[in-house]
Amino acid sequence: MNGKNIKEKHVEVIKNSLITVGSLVIDFLLCLLIQNIFSEEALVPTIVVLGVFLIAVFTDGYLYGVLASICSVLVLNYAFTFPYFKINFTIPENIISAVIMVAVTLVTCFLTSKIKYQESLKAESEKEKMRANLLRAVSHDLRTPLTTIYGSSSAILENEETLTTEQKRQMLLGIQQDSQWLCRMVENLLSITRLDGSHVKIIKVPTVLDELIDSVLVKFNKHYAEYEVSVDIPDDMIVIPMDPILIEQVMSNLLENAVLHGKGLTQIWLRVFTIRNQAIFEIRDNGCGIAPEKMKNLFNGNYMSEEEATDRQKGNAGIGLSVCATIVRAHGGDITAENSKGGGAIFRFNLDLGEDDEHEESV
Amino acid sequence: MKNRYKILVIEDEVHINNLLCALMDANGYQALAAHSCEEGNLMFASHRPDLVILDLGLPDRDGMQFLEEIRKDSLVPIIVLSARTDEKDKVLALNVGANDYVTKPFGSRELVARVGSALRTASHRAENGMRPGGKFKSRGLIIDYDARYVTIDGEEIRLTQTEYNIVALLSEHAGKMLTYDTIITEIWGYKDAGSTKKLQVNMANIRKKLGAQPGKQNYIINELGVGYRMSEGDDQM
Repeated sequence: MNGKNIKEKHVEVIKNSLITVGSLVIDFLLCLLIQNIFSEEALVPTIVVLGVFLIAVFTDGYLYGVLASICSVLVLNYAFTFPYFKINFTIPENIISAVIMVAVTLVTCFLTSKIKYQESLKAESEKEKMRANLLRAVSHDLRTPLTTIYGSSSAILENEETLTTEQKRQMLLGIQQDSQWLCRMVENLLSITRLDGSHVKIIKVPTVLDELIDSVLVKFNKHYAEYEVSVDIPDDMIVIPMDPILIEQVMSNLLENAVLHGKGLTQIWLRVFTIRNQAIFEIRDNGCGIAPEKMKNLFNGNYMSEEEATDRQKGNAGIGLSVCATIVRAHGGDITAENSKGGGAIFRFNLDLGEDDEHEESV
Repeated sequence: MKNRYKILVIEDEVHINNLLCALMDANGYQALAAHSCEEGNLMFASHRPDLVILDLGLPDRDGMQFLEEIRKDSLVPIIVLSARTDEKDKVLALNVGANDYVTKPFGSRELVARVGSALRTASHRAENGMRPGGKFKSRGLIIDYDARYVTIDGEEIRLTQTEYNIVALLSEHAGKMLTYDTIITEIWGYKDAGSTKKLQVNMANIRKKLGAQPGKQNYIINELGVGYRMSEGDDQM
């Protein structure tokens, strides 16, 4: 982690320096050109000011802007103002123009930093909002299964004699199903905490696609043996750097959503293919598809409209999908949803195939 | 029912402990309950159980430490209970000597199956070991250890040396989860940066040759981030 930060810092320094030096050189060449063509001096300082302004906007912090402005002042004084090719600060207008130049730079740097800071604040508050949404939805959704579990178990304990075997069986079934639902919910939440905190980087491990799909389907078949998933993956061995536990969660959520929400579904297709440096995962079903009004807020955890607030099943889908999105984006990929022409929903996400540089510590 | 297998359950959560003991009793085993490492140690010494179910998060000491201590002088099968996301713990426990692990929360059927499997694997190994002329049979798959010859439904499967070695290793421990590290050290004798990749490539070829299909009942079961397990042989069932 630390090495990475230092490396990133180096890259930043190089980038900023290149911008500064490059802009200055272009700036001065332009000044030379203009001076030769127009033999007019009023243009030169304005161009230099513009150059310094741009540098201040496009570099980080104050350092580069101030350096550029000092450099510009000196060059301007030396090459473009009377007396030519001499540094001379005894003439008052030279001093004043130098002061103005530095002032412009400082103000620009100040404004740029402020804007950047505000943008990061905004992103942070977006994240906060999503987290709050999720928390509200979760706490609401937890109440229903807990009611079943608590109510049924105490009913059975207190009325052991009077309840029929069938009634007891029904209640026990309810307990089982609702606690399974709770398990899935908790696993989703755990996945989020696994990549919570804005700077936690995912540890990617080279994972064999076959094994991932196998593992996902074995688990899926345990709960939904009655649904057929047709698999279409490349014959070659494909290794994708990922956190396998989290991607497994994404695929389970998508498959499960198909089953729970795709009304009338009879078939699920799971396809993975590679394009250039990307592995595309596609999960398609022939159920009822996604209602257009839900499309917009599908992945941001903002799914709770008022009339839906009591619908537990839908709530879980919302959390499941926002978990999917969080995980895929943390991997540097993207996730999309659409309705297929023949009916049914298609979910796609992509992962980088590129060699990762962090897998040495794996396994 | 004199010769019931004795199962020692070491788990500090009273509810889970009760559940585990009831489950074991209901399935014809004799359950012994312990709620800490200390108690577990005492019970282990006095009762000599046939199998141990061990929770890793115990109040007095780390379950992993307990595992190491038992393994010093006993080969008793040990099943570890762990949370889903702790692959590192699972791998560590398996490498230290656990025979298997069950992820919390678990279904009763799964746990009972694992217990049965671990007991069978243990007795199977005790009886047969790697005896000469031995064969491994599982749903049409036959491995002839002497001839180094593998068939499925009578048809020969051509494996390379390394592939055969891996399949043989897994089958000798059929039913037991072997971690990547274990397999790598057994097959190549050492581990380097490219080992995992080598194992993955070999496993991919083996899967193809054994006609594995994702999500179906395959001979070799893979557990992401942990390792591989050969499904139990017919004579173990």
